[in-house]
Parts: sequence; structure tokens; C-alpha cells
Amino acid sequence: MNDRDLQIHRLRRSRPRSLYLRMSIVSIVLLIILSWSSGWLVTDDPFTPRRRENLRRFLREIQPLPVRDGEIGFAPVCRWASDLVADPGLDAALATLSIATASIVLAAVGALILVWPAARTVASSRPFGVSASQPGRMIRIAWLVLVAATRGIAVFFRAVPEYVWAFLFLAMFGPRAWPAVLALAVHNAGILAKLGAEVVENVVPAVPAGLRSIGASRRQVVVAGILPTVLPRFLLFFAYRWETCVREATVLGLLGFSSLGYWILDARARDRYDDMILFMLIGAVLVLIGDYVSVAVRSILRRVA
Amino acid sequence: MFGTRRPFPVRRTLLILIALSGIGSALHLGLRPGNLRPDAGGLRVAATFFGAAVSPATSYEAAFVPEGTIPLLAKAGAATITTVIFAAAAASLSTLLGLILGFLASAAWWSDDPIGGVSIIRRLVQRTVRPAVFVTTRFVIALARSMHELLWAVLFLGAMGLTNLTAVMAIVIPYTGILAKICSEIIDEAPREAAHALRAAGASPLQVFFCGLLPRALPDLCAYAIYRFECALRSSAVMGFFGIPTLGYYIHASFSNTHYREVWTYLYALLALVALADNWSGGLRRRLIS
Repeated sequence: MNDRDLQIHRLRRSRPRSLYLRMSIVSIVLLIILSWSSGWLVTDDPFTPRRRENLRRFLREIQPLPVRDGEIGFAPVCRWASDLVADPGLDAALATLSIATASIVLAAVGALILVWPAARTVASSRPFGVSASQPGRMIRIAWLVLVAATRGIAVFFRAVPEYVWAFLFLAMFGPRAWPAVLALAVHNAGILAKLGAEVVENVVPAVPAGLRSIGASRRQVVVAGILPTVLPRFLLFFAYRWETCVREATVLGLLGFSSLGYWILDARARDRYDDMILFMLIGAVLVLIGDYVSVAVRSILRRVA
Repeated sequence: MFGTRRPFPVRRTLLILIALSGIGSALHLGLRPGNLRPDAGGLRVAATFFGAAVSPATSYEAAFVPEGTIPLLAKAGAATITTVIFAAAAASLSTLLGLILGFLASAAWWSDDPIGGVSIIRRLVQRTVRPAVFVTTRFVIALARSMHELLWAVLFLGAMGLTNLTAVMAIVIPYTGILAKICSEIIDEAPREAAHALRAAGASPLQVFFCGLLPRALPDLCAYAIYRFECALRSSAVMGFFGIPTLGYYIHASFSNTHYREVWTYLYALLALVALADNWSGGLRRRLIS
């Protein structure tokens, strides 16, 4: 071993190591081995004759009906596709988009209410460490309780999965558009409130503390000192969650709302796999459009911020 | 201020657009606040449901439980383990596939300029094969990630019936797409100094990629992969709607039977699982990206 090797060896030995990371790696490897070797994933032959027959039928039935029997022609396929797009397709896509948009706007309104009492720097007896007089003990405790309660609500909102909210609202309001919108809105309000409160707490305290020390009220500090700084980040999160909502709104249709998911299940129930695939493709296009809109908005915001 | 044009008010325009689209969507869906007043039955459901939150069931709520049924808590435990196994399988496979596709879809993988002579064949490969593979990979990734895992599950259900394996695949496909997309972005945004230095020292393009670029991107990649495992936990729970015995299956079943206290038992198991994973992945992320 020459000098250079020794030095490399020494450098390697002195690199920072963390027990936490090592244990995590070991447990990840164990988890992966366990999951694939448990004999639980591949329970039986995935290609039994029955399944193969099923697959063959499926592959035949996903071909558009007008050309299924060996006929080749572009025009009938176009007519079939445009008919479906025109009749439920566009409406369903629009409904999906509306559910996503309405729910994320509602979520944003909710989050804008939750954010302030959830941010420890704002909701405190001494906001940003500045106050004229020493606050009393009861007041201090009251503020702590307010923060804890708001955070608890936000955690609860986002921890319960959106489909459970959907079940619940479905049972409460019946099959209208409201349950889907509310389910997505409640879940996302929790997420947006958490992300937003983090941003508010990370604001450099110089400006709000300065405003506070010249006598601004808590509300004035929020409106003039914090909101302008955090708004671009808020809008970023909004765009990102909207994108997710488009995806989820499609799927919530599986529970019976008239979004694309509903028509996908409907086509399956009618044994029309060709229609089903077309609706799925419409959904995919919708998600991709949502993606690109969100990316564009985010890049504009980054340039402004 | 004086004489200069005011910049275009991006934020205000965005806020107005958002508000307008929200109102437009609500009108389109016919959402009326008046419809939000639940009737007596609806209120009762909500009251029972939230009332049950404080007293999750520890045994079955049904009046008649067949002989030999395993206890509720054991069942919840088994469902939790199933959820984890499922998520681990899906996350590991999609990470592997996502990394491969992500390399192929990253601009950095294709953007080397081989030092030394360039033969005609090499140039031909550069002009045709590379863009073709690049574009195809990006298309495959877009298609894979643009469909929700439940829709892939519906597709598999039609094609070959939903077994445990196909349910895992239904998660793996969209997750691979998302991971590949993020992976290619992380690689392309990784700091380049080491790669430039290696290239200047005469390393081959592959060496530059694996020794110069990848190590810089690795912490972010690991952090993201772990985050996806956390997401996979939720997804594998949802797969229960199609009959896979994960937590979602029992949540759905108990909800349909209006056994809300049982719902909360399973729900708390899911919440504990997600909270644990959240904590773990947060800890890992802090240590990986310092």
C-alpha cells in the first residue's frame, strides 16, 4: 500500500457516518427481501389457461368496435372516438376539471384561515418576540392551546385519506358533486395549512418584528409584513396540489360521481373495454395538461419570486 | 416610479384567475351552499362517525361473528403488515425501474461529447438512435404517470384479473413514471463541477456520469425514493378497494356495514403507519440532505 492509498484509506475511514442511516439501510433491505420472498406476491401461476384466455379476450375487446373483426379503416375509428369524446367524454373531462378546481380553491380558502393560528410565530402572546408588556400566564397558555388545536385540526384533515372523507360525505349528502369536492377540499386544506404554516414560520422575522415594534397590530403585521413575502410560495403549493387534485378527481368518479372515473367503470360494466380505454386516455391527457399548466405557472412564479 | 412602466402584476392576475376559475367550476357543477345542509339522517351519520373516533372497536361490532374468525385486532395487525409488504414490493420495483428510465430520460445521460475521433457510425448513432430513445422514454414515462394507480388496477382487472401481483404492478407502473421523471430532473439539476473536472481529466462519458454526476444527485434521489415508499403505503391501502386484503379493504367493508367503530380501528392503524413512515422519511431526509 503506497502513500496515496493510505491517505485515501484514511480519508475514507474519517468520513461522517450515521448509525441512523445504517440501521435504515439494513431495515430497507430486510423489508424488500421480506416483501418479495414472502411467497405472498406470486401466490399462483399468473398465466393459467383461464387467465390467458381472459387476456386474449381483453386484447380483442380493447380494439374499437367498428374495426374489431379484421376490418381496417381509419374513418370508422375516428367516428367512434369523436362520438364518445363528444357525448360523455368532454362533459366528463370538464366535470373532473371542475371538481379539482372547485375543491382546491375551497381548500385554499380553508388553509388561509388555518395558517395563521397554526404558525407559532404569529399565534403567540409575543408575536415575533416583540410585545410592549409582559403577557400574563393565562394569555400565554391560551395562545398555546389555540396553536395546538389548529394544528390538531390540520393533522386530522390531512391524515384521514380523501376516500374516507368521500365515503362520509357521500353518506351525509347523497350522490351529488358536493361529497367529491368536500372530500378533496378537506384533505387538501390540511396539507396546504401544514405547508403554509411552515413557510410563515420560516419568514425572516426582521420585517414583521420591525412592524410590530412600531405598533402594528397582529393583523396589520400579517397583511403588510408576511403575506407579500409568502404569497409566491403559497401559490406554488396551490399549483402543485391542484395538479394532484386533477388526478384524484378522476379516480373519485369510481365512487359514483359523474367524473371520468364514473364513465370508466360504466364502460367496464357494459363490457366495452374499447370505450373504457378511450376514457382512460382522455383522463391521461387531462392529467398531462394539468401537469404542464402547473409547471408553467410554477416557472412564472419562480421568476417573480 | 415616475415614467417607468409598472411590471405586469403576475400575482394579482393569478389570484383573480384562480378565484374566477373556482367560481366558474362551482357554477358548472351546480354547487349550491344550500345543498350543504344535511338532512337528519346525514347529521346522524356524521355524529355517529365522529363519535366513534374516540372509541375505536377492539372486537367485532356485528351481532353474529362466525366461529373461528380471527380477532379484530389481529386482523387489523395482519392488514397493516400486508399493507407494508405490498408497499415495499411496489416501491422497490418502481425505484429500480424508475432509476433506469430516469437515466435514459435525463439530458445529462445523452449529452456527453466523446473526446477523440468521431466515426461516421458514431455520428449516425448520435443523430438517430439517441433522440429516438430519448423521446420514446419520455413518452413512456408520461403515459405511465398520467394514470392513477387505481385506473391501472381497473385495467389489470379487465386484462387478467386482479391478483396480488397485478395489484403491485398497478402501483409500480405510475410510480415508475413519477420516479423516472423526478430522477431525470434531479440528475439534470445536480451540480456539475465534479463531472467537468473528470471530463477534463479524460474520463469516459460513462465514468463521468457514474463517478462525477450520480454521487452528487444520490442524496436527493434516495430522499425522494423514501418519500415514494411513504406514498406507496397509502396507495397499497387504497388497493384494498379491489379486494386485496390491505387496510383499505377492511375500511371499505366496515364502512359499508356502518360499523364505524371498526372503521376507526383500521383508520388508526393506517394513520399510525403513515405517521411512522413520515417520521422515518423525515429523519432520513434531514440526514441525507444537510
